[in-house]
Amino acid sequence: MSRRVLLHVGCPKTGTSYLQDVLFRNQEVLREHDILYPADRFDAHFLAALDLMTLPWGGIETEAVGAWDRLAAAVREWHGTSIVSHEIFARATPTQVERALASLGDAEVHLVLSARDLVRQVPAEWQENVKHRSHITYAEFLRTIRDPARDSRIGSWFWAVQELPDILERWGSSLPPEHVHLVTLPPPGADRGELWRRFSRTFGLDGLPLDLTAERENPSLGVPETSLLRTINERVTSIIAPPDYRPLVRETLAHQTLSRSVASARLGLAPADHAWARELSQRWIEVLDERGYDVVGSLDDLLGPDAGTFADPDTATAEELLPPALDAISALLVEGARLRAVEERLHRELREAHEELERTRATTAYRARRKVVTTLEGSPAGRGSLDAYRRLRGRKG
Amino acid sequence: MTASATRPAGSVHGWVAHLRAGGTTPWLAWTDPSTDPGSDPTSGGRALPGAQQLELLRRINLALESSARPRGDHDHLRTRLADRVLAAPAAGRGKADLPLVGAASGGFGAQPVDPATVSAHELLRVASTLLADDLVALGPDPVRRGVPRPWRRRFRLVGDPVVATAAREHLLGRGRPEGGPRPFVVAVGGPLDELLAHTWTQRCFEHGSRPWADWLRFWRERDQLPARADLDDSIHRWGGRRPYVRVVTDLAQLPEHLGVRRLPEVRVSGADQAELARRISAVVGIRVPVGERPALMRTLQKRMPDSGVAPVVVPPTEHDWVASSAARTTRALTRAGYPVVGDLADLAPRAPGLTGLSRHGGADDRQVLDLAIRMIVDTGWRAGRERSVER
Repeated sequence: MSRRVLLHVGCPKTGTSYLQDVLFRNQEVLREHDILYPADRFDAHFLAALDLMTLPWGGIETEAVGAWDRLAAAVREWHGTSIVSHEIFARATPTQVERALASLGDAEVHLVLSARDLVRQVPAEWQENVKHRSHITYAEFLRTIRDPARDSRIGSWFWAVQELPDILERWGSSLPPEHVHLVTLPPPGADRGELWRRFSRTFGLDGLPLDLTAERENPSLGVPETSLLRTINERVTSIIAPPDYRPLVRETLAHQTLSRSVASARLGLAPADHAWARELSQRWIEVLDERGYDVVGSLDDLLGPDAGTFADPDTATAEELLPPALDAISALLVEGARLRAVEERLHRELREAHEELERTRATTAYRARRKVVTTLEGSPAGRGSLDAYRRLRGRKG
Repeated sequence: MTASATRPAGSVHGWVAHLRAGGTTPWLAWTDPSTDPGSDPTSGGRALPGAQQLELLRRINLALESSARPRGDHDHLRTRLADRVLAAPAAGRGKADLPLVGAASGGFGAQPVDPATVSAHELLRVASTLLADDLVALGPDPVRRGVPRPWRRRFRLVGDPVVATAAREHLLGRGRPEGGPRPFVVAVGGPLDELLAHTWTQRCFEHGSRPWADWLRFWRERDQLPARADLDDSIHRWGGRRPYVRVVTDLAQLPEHLGVRRLPEVRVSGADQAELARRISAVVGIRVPVGERPALMRTLQKRMPDSGVAPVVVPPTEHDWVASSAARTTRALTRAGYPVVGDLADLAPRAPGLTGLSRHGGADDRQVLDLAIRMIVDTGWRAGRERSVER
């Protein structure tokens, strides 16, 4: 069997969480069909990406030591097809790409990039920034990414993981174009299974008995919900450390609470920004067409939908923010109650342990011994005697 | 040569080879397009380094030139160093590798730049990766452990982390390890602004931290003190009871409360050292298991060359909060009635000036970069046994 590596390097917000969850949960089935998805935890390939790119990430990177080399070694040792997938690989520099490809050995490398139109990616990326502690307004975000200098942290990151011709140039320049697979996301309103069919075809998963239940997704938020979260960030980003922010704000508030408001207006682009995104996308489509990559879907998908009604998150009124704010307070109170219950249980266990200890000490002999020890501890000679005695008894304490 | 004119591809490779050979000509002044394929590892289709790596290498070459070392035997070492610089990633979520202005590009990706204008912050991202790799390769210095003296005084040191860490290590070497049955809790106090500065500095040399100004803001907005700067809470946490607690604000008397005659004087790392350590620590965190990082960082703390920059200082904007926190701590310790060696009035902030530091009370990026380049060029800090810091 020939050795192949399918290296899926992006982009963020293109259904990657769902794909990676399916691959992670179906590792055994995949192995039976000679396909390796080497991951001992759901975020194994994310950690490998942090390691490859020397990217500190709010403390998570300490779990990434050696992760890329382990992943690459597993791929090199596998006899069939291997899949590597994480969207932040899109940001790798040419030097890091070179290292990554070299470490995969002599396998036939296929690069996969899943891509969605800029009209939907721009608002989605702002939302991701907000879910990662940023309190930049939507207008400022758009100004930042439209600044050609790309001088800011947000601007440089955005283009590094979203500029399709650049990502494909960085990752795919050493590969034949037929080994570069561009999977486009279907337009809004398309059949819900279409994206999976495109992934399935690209990764050679057609016909495999996979469990496709959606257990893990990266849900999007409505306009007032994102606006609320941004406002909350203004207050808490400087005082809540990343390890606390992740479970309390991103998970409890954003993913488990605010994302449930499916009736809220979805974020889009204002007419001027929409026109800019369309024009830029058109340029990309022409360049990508010329390069002759294997396109799974259609390059026309990258043009994006027509402009719809624009709801500006920067001008959301207090009345619009109130319902999600009440949901947020309610969710945090429930979480607070859950944590109180955990705390209470731990206190109870500690109390019981103390009581057990006290019972064993409540004897006259123990009290007498303790008095002797306390007296001896008060002088160097006494401490020396006690230490010698403990050594003889083979005890440390 | 203007910045906007596009140059032939060989020109970039020629400049890379020039830098690799120890050259110091800035990119915009580079006019020789010839390339020796054998001397440029990036020729032959290999990836070009970014402007960050190239400019850092040029600055390193400048520093090497001014150090006036004879070349000869050092040539291969310099070439090896150059290759490491060119391959080093810029750590963190900053800019990706930046292309050179005037070099041919596909029209996509980051805006090309003149490497000479790349900020010290960006160059530090590369330099900290190199130094982190050096530190990991060096490994931790062994910790001296003396045979435990049975008659030693039992103590638990809390408070000022710089003083406590140095004393703990010294005492361990003298056979007086911390802990044991019913220890005295010895809380080392001092002016709260200095205590905060020492706490952040020591964090940089352990697990790393957020930047000094952000860290102060974090605690001020919470109106809390970090664990090690909160003396009352530290004593509580270690189960200190009144007769077995000493709050020491007079450091001259600290040795006798730890059962020794003297302790080495403590050197507080400069603001540039702490900031560089903070950046190095972030990279070390990706290179070695989390439990190994503190020993490596403490090794760095002892070996880092001193550049004479003052330690970080609490800026005037935070003085009110620090003063009120100090007053609150004093009230809590007074109410608890712990024996005090010195005077609790010494906990009041001193508010020294910001001489030689930025308005945030930390080091300027350029000062940090100077130190980083000095450490890359002069490998003395990596040689031999650890240097003594006792005065």
